Amino acid sequence: MAFSGNFMCTSFKKELLFGVHDFDLANGDTFNIALYTNSASFDASTTAYTATNEVSGTGYSAGGQALTNVDPTTSGTTAFTDFADETWTAATITARGALIYNTTPNTTSISVTNPTVVVLDFGSDKTSTAGDFTVVFPTADASNAIIRIA
Amino acid sequence: MSIPALDLNINPDFKVEVHTTNNRGFTPEEVAERCAQKVISISDTAPPEIQAQARAFRKQLVKVLEFYMREAIKSDRTTVYNALTDAGHKELVDLIRRL
Repeated sequence: MAFSGNFMCTSFKKELLFGVHDFDLANGDTFNIALYTNSASFDASTTAYTATNEVSGTGYSAGGQALTNVDPTTSGTTAFTDFADETWTAATITARGALIYNTTPNTTSISVTNPTVVVLDFGSDKTSTAGDFTVVFPTADASNAIIRIA
Repeated sequence: MSIPALDLNINPDFKVEVHTTNNRGFTPEEVAERCAQKVISISDTAPPEIQAQARAFRKQLVKVLEFYMREAIKSDRTTVYNALTDAGHKELVDLIRRL
């Protein structure tokens, strides 16, 4: 069991068509990022947040932290959105990857709880010791943004 | 007349980075560098002269960001200093002042 790459969750694609996710900064949903050890096994079939194999340690609370949305926009024919970098401060933790999930989905048309958006594989274990642990998101443009619809 | 299919391609090709520290926080230099990378992205396919110009501008931007981050840190310490002083924590106040 281990992380095996980055994945855009298949359930997320379906949920987009049901209008479950809103990435607006001012009025959108709350997306959390949760950190996991390499014992976790996530892929495109991952559908919801789980506390199993979630990181524990000083400065980290189960469920992770809320991300700051970046208003969706377009460039050419590609639409994209992003999140502000997220930091756990004064943390002593080791993580191999993360899940981004929606804690406040629109369940008008479909029943979901903490539905996942993406699986992030850090490539190796990352450790902070009484320090800062920051997840840096890629540049918000049509070629690099973390969520792009072309 | 046929209607073209709507083809939504949600690109899974993305890459996040993780930056960590041990027994300290990030320095203004480290944060400024990260900020500048966000503000100015340089395309690999841009003409070399444009890339060089963009890199030079980004380098200058890092210096400006560093300066104002230090200003913000100093100002925040003043705020913390006064809050701790008002609360009567003199030892902590001295610690903050020496940072």
